[in-house]
Amino acid sequence: MDERGIWEKIADKLRSKSLWMLHYCTGCGAMELPPTMTSRFDMERFGMGPMATPRQADILFITGYLNTKTLRRVIYTYEKMADPKYVIGFGSCTLNGGIYYDSYGTINKLDYYLPVDLYIAGCMPRPEALLEAFNELMRMIRNGEANGWKKYKENYEWYKNNQLRSLGEVYVHDEFHE
Amino acid sequence: MTNSMNEVINNVKNIASQVVINEIDEREIKLELNEKEVINVLSYLKGNGFSHLSLMTVVDWIAENKFEIVYILFSWETGNKIIVSTKIDRKEAKFVTIKHLWPTARFYEREIHEFFGIEFKGNDDMKPLFLEIWDDIPPLRKDFDPLEYSKKKFPDREYEKDVIHEAKIIRGDING
Ligand code: SF4
Repeated sequence: MDERGIWEKIADKLRSKSLWMLHYCTGCGAMELPPTMTSRFDMERFGMGPMATPRQADILFITGYLNTKTLRRVIYTYEKMADPKYVIGFGSCTLNGGIYYDSYGTINKLDYYLPVDLYIAGCMPRPEALLEAFNELMRMIRNGEANGWKKYKENYEWYKNNQLRSLGEVYVHDEFHE
Repeated sequence: MTNSMNEVINNVKNIASQVVINEIDEREIKLELNEKEVINVLSYLKGNGFSHLSLMTVVDWIAENKFEIVYILFSWETGNKIIVSTKIDRKEAKFVTIKHLWPTARFYEREIHEFFGIEFKGNDDMKPLFLEIWDDIPPLRKDFDPLEYSKKKFPDREYEKDVIHEAKIIRGDING
């Protein structure tokens, strides 16, 4: 990757210390989040907290399976987030479809559609694995390795084509959006 | 079988010419009726305690070439449950709506239309409920192949075979 300026390095250092996480919890793996957030493991001591809206969040945290319907909403959400933004795929469903690999609705591989900075393997991973991943992500941000958001811009065509192949179109048409 | 259930069964026998009764347990029976009489029986049951439609669904009997439409009714007074089912032709996948009996059936029928491709006469609201931009045969029909569809639409990761790892397992260096 290209050389970062000194200000960028400082900014990255600061960014890694204050991360707001938007969690898209469609899968069963979301069950491991409450203990990670609450007093048992207490995520906030690392400088991370949950965030309710995409525009204020840094991390898009996707737990488990996404189907075509939810993927559309996730793409909307991701594109709404401000740069720099990071994506964590949690659980084997985001990696390779997991136990839903042959489903008519479940996508098999999240990084065809969105740039994933970090995967957490397992079905489902324990809170320790989650914390480990957050630490790793912080390290990546400090070293300027978490560049998914740049990759998304550079390879936008490729991502868009993948999205269109699986979804038909990305626009959401339903009773609630019309 | 409770007394109230016996009474209901006797009345159903009077209404319908053909009915197969399966007693599942004390408080649960299944009635298999023919296509023409099922609506009469449903409206009788609704008026006689079984006012709650717990579920409406479909079973695909592909070898018999039939769709079985299943209604599960529940009575809040007695706690009894009746499963009413009927088989329709799979090729002529059409049936009548029960929207006038249970307004909630509208959504069940939309779902069934989407996942099995059955038309309901009298229900004009047949918009897709869950799927978006679906482009194949209805996915819960037995002749739909989800794996093939998934391969076409959602490509999987290619894994390379790790020959050395396998050789180590065979030689007994590591446990496989
Ligand atoms: S990876 Fe396992 S735990 Fe996670 S969403 Fe998939 S099935 Fe559920």
